[in-house]
Amino acid sequence: MAQFWYYFFTLVFFLFDYFILAMGLNIQYGEAGILNFSYFAFVAIGAYVTGAVSLPSSVGSGQQYIFGFNMPFPFSLLAGGVACMVLALFVALIALRRLRTDYLAMVLISMSLVLYDIINNYPRLFNGADGIYNVPQPLAGVLHLTSNAFSIFFACLTGVIAMLMWLVMSRITRSPLGRTFRAIRDDPDVAAALGKGVFRYQVTSLVIGSFYAGIGGGLIMQFGGSFNPSAWLPGETFVVFAVIIVGGVGNNVGLLMGALLVEALLIHLPAFLPEIPGHPGLIEYIDGALIGIILMVMLWFRPQGLVPERIRRFPLPAGELLDRDGHSVVAPTPTETVAASAAHDASEGTVA
Amino acid sequence: MTQFWLAFGFGLVTASVLAIAAVGLSLQFGITNYINFAYGDFMALGAFITYYFNAEAFHINVWVAMIFGTLAVGVFGVLINRFLLSPFVRRFNKSFYVLIVTFGLSLIMLNTIYSIWGTNVRVYNLKIEVYKHVGPFLLNKYQIVVMVIAVVLMTGVALMVKTTRLGKSMRAMSDNTTLAMTSGIDTKRITTITWFLSGSMAGLAGTVLAITESNLTPASGELFLFVIFAAVIVGGVGSIYGAMGGALLIGLATEITAAYWNPAYKLDVAFLFLIATLLFRPNGLLSRPGKA
Amino acid sequence: MSYNDTAPAPEGPILRVEGITKAFGGVNAVNGATFDVPRNKITALIGPNGAGKTTVVNLLSGAYKVDSGKVHLGSTDITNMERHKIARLGLMRTFQLSRELSGLTVLENLLVAPKVQAGESMYNIFFRPRLVKREERQNLERALEILRTYGLYDLRDNRARELSGGQKKLLEISRGVMASPSLFLLDEPMAGVNPALIERIGGYIMDMKAQGVTVLMIEHNLNVVERICDNVIVLAEGRTLATGRLSELRENKEVVTAYLGEIINASSSH
Repeated sequence: MAQFWYYFFTLVFFLFDYFILAMGLNIQYGEAGILNFSYFAFVAIGAYVTGAVSLPSSVGSGQQYIFGFNMPFPFSLLAGGVACMVLALFVALIALRRLRTDYLAMVLISMSLVLYDIINNYPRLFNGADGIYNVPQPLAGVLHLTSNAFSIFFACLTGVIAMLMWLVMSRITRSPLGRTFRAIRDDPDVAAALGKGVFRYQVTSLVIGSFYAGIGGGLIMQFGGSFNPSAWLPGETFVVFAVIIVGGVGNNVGLLMGALLVEALLIHLPAFLPEIPGHPGLIEYIDGALIGIILMVMLWFRPQGLVPERIRRFPLPAGELLDRDGHSVVAPTPTETVAASAAHDASEGTVA
Repeated sequence: MTQFWLAFGFGLVTASVLAIAAVGLSLQFGITNYINFAYGDFMALGAFITYYFNAEAFHINVWVAMIFGTLAVGVFGVLINRFLLSPFVRRFNKSFYVLIVTFGLSLIMLNTIYSIWGTNVRVYNLKIEVYKHVGPFLLNKYQIVVMVIAVVLMTGVALMVKTTRLGKSMRAMSDNTTLAMTSGIDTKRITTITWFLSGSMAGLAGTVLAITESNLTPASGELFLFVIFAAVIVGGVGSIYGAMGGALLIGLATEITAAYWNPAYKLDVAFLFLIATLLFRPNGLLSRPGKA
Repeated sequence: MSYNDTAPAPEGPILRVEGITKAFGGVNAVNGATFDVPRNKITALIGPNGAGKTTVVNLLSGAYKVDSGKVHLGSTDITNMERHKIARLGLMRTFQLSRELSGLTVLENLLVAPKVQAGESMYNIFFRPRLVKREERQNLERALEILRTYGLYDLRDNRARELSGGQKKLLEISRGVMASPSLFLLDEPMAGVNPALIERIGGYIMDMKAQGVTVLMIEHNLNVVERICDNVIVLAEGRTLATGRLSELRENKEVVTAYLGEIINASSSH
């Protein structure tokens, strides 16, 4: 019975965690139109940094890693988020400047492959191919939980964090900043012609999104206590894209739905199914391919997602609308037509 | 100094593989105006089909088996374009969606190859490699053949693009698709041919990569993809000659650095070139206006 | 009553263009265009097709970089300044083929327009919410006012991509007005539009002038130019051919030659 709850709360954890990840990618892609194909590299950095700062100094521990500050729980998580923001800033300044969408996507994918390669081959950073493990349970000294109880607790905590982050994201997307992001997504030339510094806003969206990526990654590290390169192969970014496209780009409720469907049901549920004898890993591969197929089907038949982007209506200000002279704003016709003006000018004997 | 020339020789081999791959990608990008993110998996597919004929089911000579691998991926490219990519391009005019589709295709192909062949490293059935001195270089006969193939192919592509009617139509489409259509060019046919060429070159590149690297895994193509991107970006997006030039530059640079510094840094050097290009000459060395 | 952001009445032409050139490949699209745009007047930029008019607008607004020459907006040198900075100085433009922000509603299209909004800063969103709310409300009221004037009020919550061609044109113009320009560049505002709408748009343009906005419009419809424009600049083969009142230009042999068919047709059909 305890096993069942363990499975269940693992699903719950990943539901909320991928909701956070989806919100991050959404502000980059759904709101600002940046095709960030390297998203999961940021998630990984968040995980690694959170783990590495939580652990004590690496000397004598059998693992190699940088940092090792023994940082306690919420700070270690925040460290992961901040590290990602710094990375995003760096990447944006180099790559975002003059590149159009697909060119940019190429560079971002390359960056994530190189990052993967570096971390895999330089154990001094984050313990190479073995990854970081034995990360202490957050708040272990305060609460003394068994590992199953911890799963339940942490899944719920992640839920709370997800809701808080949802509130923040809602504020942003409903503000003029969100509107400007969407304008840039729809037509960057028009946005620039209206005085918006497109580059600046793209950097902002990339940085905000990467904070969410870092937190999401840090939470994965804290939940499982370990993280290694097999957890962030290039295809993982695609899963997050699938979440937002299936659920509904630009709609936070849709993102939650997408996280439920794609992440909890499609990815993690099969992991609890027994292996097919003689074919190790086959279920995983079928799963991966299936996600790709479902995504294409969704894109074709319902590109706006299950829960489409809502039209933002503005409530009319109370009272009558008056223009600057105090007259009621009523007539749709202009105050002076061309004909009237021509007649006027003709009587004056001039053209201007 | 001999060390330099040895490295240079290896660099030429890498550049050959890279050139075949980069030109295949550039041709397709020039015509369709979007990047095929599954290109690495196309390469892997070609390599594995060759493997099937060479070492798994039959034991055909690797060069003959390579023909199967090459043509099969060419046909595959045509089919994928006809049934998957073109419909998406026609339906949505923003390039976002088709890029995500190619990204998804990559995932599907990778997982399919994994489920058929598993994660083990494979090796082709090759005869013992004997290294011979060719001028200042030390190469084995497989490497020499690969280089010859690359040179012949590059010359062929360059001639085709410059002199044949097909080549001229391709250039016209690359510059301005709408104008090309209204000028009476059969854009659908050209697109199909381009995908065949691009797919074939991907399959060929995947096979020769596996030959020169002496190993093959399903992810080999994807990992190499970014070096191809580096070559294409450094050389100049949208230009065939740029792709060739970029391939030569990156191929030589990575091997020479590997010899003098540390082989583990090979990929990082390619990436450094990429970054440097982005910072100082973002349009690459030979890019065409309107593409980047 | 003026929508103009800038300080008390400056003197001199609002725009001074000196010898700008632009070549694409081997083609000289603009080959030494020089002209002044007088303040608070409606100026037309006319010329045969291929004369480089849209390219000039692209150069002025910063969408393209000039190869040589200078552009001054008021006393500021805006040559090769970045697009969005030029827009912030008060130079707005429309596009020849209407470009609406398709996924946004009509109302949102207008709400994006004000150049600097408190709500675009992360700090303000979280730490000064009342300021953001107040500014939003002001912008909302103004936007609704403008939408009513332009007859788009009932469409305010429709996505911009659902609008008809004529409505999209109106949207683009009203969006520019919302941005409080000092100089508004209109690229063929009457193109492909029915006569009744031409009347309306002409009226809106004259309203803008009354409110202190200077207008420079590319226009082929010489009837309209005659009726609402104070001043005309003729461009041919990438350079300025002549400037002045349309009545004077009709007497100008060079202009008539460049424009042979059009002027005769225009004057004979009206």
